[in-house]
Amino acid sequence: MRLLLAEDDPELTRQVVACLEKAGHEVACYDRGDAALAAAVQKAFDVVILDVNMPGMNGFQVVEEMRAKEEIVPVIFLTARDGVVDRVRGLTAGGDDYLTKPFAMEELLARIDVQLRRAQQSGTGQRRIGEWFLDTRQRRLRKSNGEGVDLQPRECALLELLLDHPGRTLTKKFLLDKVWNIRFDPGTNVVDAMVCRLRRKLDVPGHTSSIQTVRGKGYVFKASS
Amino acid sequence: MFSKLLPERLPSTWRLALLQCITIATSIALCLTLAGMALRSDLETISRRILLDDLGEYSSVYEMAGLDGIARMFVSGRHENTEGVRVTSADGTIVLCESLSDPEKGFPWPALTSLRKLPEMKGVKAIEHPGKQPHVLIGRVFLPDGKLLWYGRTNESDRGYIQHINLYLWYAGVAAALIALVPIFWYAGEVLQPVRSMIASALALARGSGRERLAASSAVPELREFAAAFNTVLDRNEELTSELQAANDQLAHELRTPLARIRGNLEAFHDSVSEPAARDAAARGLDEIDRASSLVQTILTVRAGEHQALALHREPLSIRELLTDIVDLYTISAEDSGVVMKLDVTEDRTLMIDQQRLTQAIANLLDNALTYTPQAGSITVRCELDETQCIIHVEDTGPGVKPGEEENIWMRFVRGSAASAKSPGMGLGLSLVRAVATAHGGATGVNHRPGGGADFWISLPSEA
Repeated sequence: MRLLLAEDDPELTRQVVACLEKAGHEVACYDRGDAALAAAVQKAFDVVILDVNMPGMNGFQVVEEMRAKEEIVPVIFLTARDGVVDRVRGLTAGGDDYLTKPFAMEELLARIDVQLRRAQQSGTGQRRIGEWFLDTRQRRLRKSNGEGVDLQPRECALLELLLDHPGRTLTKKFLLDKVWNIRFDPGTNVVDAMVCRLRRKLDVPGHTSSIQTVRGKGYVFKASS
Repeated sequence: MFSKLLPERLPSTWRLALLQCITIATSIALCLTLAGMALRSDLETISRRILLDDLGEYSSVYEMAGLDGIARMFVSGRHENTEGVRVTSADGTIVLCESLSDPEKGFPWPALTSLRKLPEMKGVKAIEHPGKQPHVLIGRVFLPDGKLLWYGRTNESDRGYIQHINLYLWYAGVAAALIALVPIFWYAGEVLQPVRSMIASALALARGSGRERLAASSAVPELREFAAAFNTVLDRNEELTSELQAANDQLAHELRTPLARIRGNLEAFHDSVSEPAARDAAARGLDEIDRASSLVQTILTVRAGEHQALALHREPLSIRELLTDIVDLYTISAEDSGVVMKLDVTEDRTLMIDQQRLTQAIANLLDNALTYTPQAGSITVRCELDETQCIIHVEDTGPGVKPGEEENIWMRFVRGSAASAKSPGMGLGLSLVRAVATAHGGATGVNHRPGGGADFWISLPSEA
């Protein structure tokens, strides 16, 4: 996928580019807002990643200009500002997602996936986890032999999210944001507790869990199990 | 000092009027006393002269026409009962006594015995008769035949004059006081009207967003100056607040960008090494960076809250839904640590609140409660609603807050004595709770639960 990255910090740019390229994306970098705007309007990109504080033009202004020129490419903000007010400012300016620094590279990849999927409007197909089939409408796990387990709404949302990003390590921060709509550290290990509960419902004793913990990073869904 | 004597709730106009009345009454009383003294001494001098004059006249009449002459002259004169004349022989027998008063009352002649004690006089002398009211002035003169001629005057008419003058002085004083009240009421009204509108303006200021200013358009010059000075302070405050907000953003940026760089590098390192110990160290490093950035955020939030610079994103939210979500968030953790979590919300209300911030504040209280509540304990989230406010309680069955620490624990970096090395935290959790509640126009506090344990609460104004 072709991505545009506008970020004025060279070190961070280097890291993000390395990560994105490793994930198979093609990245065009700009360190000024105005240059990024010109490029975004002229060339076709699949996702635009914008820093908010940039010389030339800030990220919010870039998006406003892009949207004024009817450029509908998904935009993810990368910013050091963490207030809800800033977040709302970013989203009303026409951004699609908002990621605060410092962030995990995998979280950026997961958010790019979300935007790409939304842009492509692709269906996710059948949701299969080992022997289980997930019925998101009834919030129920089923086996082909008719055996079933009910899921709590948030358990179901968490599982869906993990299934949406197979093989991608999802950070607790990302999970808290998407499942619980919480953008702060709630102290207690809410995510861990919920994952434990999901595993108890999903896993076959003696087999490796389909939801694996990656220390210091988060959780990953491995479809291969 | 003087104003303390006046009733507390009396409006200033009336206080001023009352003070003015007291001042005028005091000056009238002073005028009356001094004028009375001057008048009395003048009238007495006149009285003496009249007396000496009369004694001379009557003794000449006696020389020419004897006792009959004295009597005729006295009767023909227009005397009132305030005067009297008498003649006594050398041994003290009264030979003539005339006065126009009715016989019973008579002129208040003093007894001859008391008069005899008076020192011998040459010629004419006025004798003040002591102890008589009204005051009596008596003069005597030796007649050529050795008899004594007495002439007396009371000061009753003088007193009448003085009383008359006093009465008119009082009329003048009262009239002056009433006239003086008119400008007082007018001026006090003129001065106080702007004060009242200024009070209204200040109240609006207290409720406002900080952009309002004190208005004193038609006020007296001093009040206008005051309002201008006050507004300068407000301008400066606003400037400082926005500077602080900018500095907050700046600091956040300055700290977060390097943290982001370190995190990126550490993540790359983590992914590239296969040595378990190195991976583990990197993983712990990543955890610490996340903790540090969340700490930076909390400090900035608390700081902003302390300087009324916490920007809120208010939206209408159901308090029941908000509390249900938060309790839901902690239920699994509570179950895992053997604590029962209860939600007790009977009524619902929609409030204009910042969902993220308030959720974080209540989550902090719940997190605290979970940390301190022992196994088999319980945590109750309760909501009290009345017309003016909504109070959210988080009650636990932990050790509670030590008496005397109820206020301290809300301070930055202060941890209650129940905290231990095992319970993590920087002592910022409750400061954040207070910062968020204050930014919403509410308050926070802690009560002791009757059965032991703590009852932390956040109050939010209903119109918030």
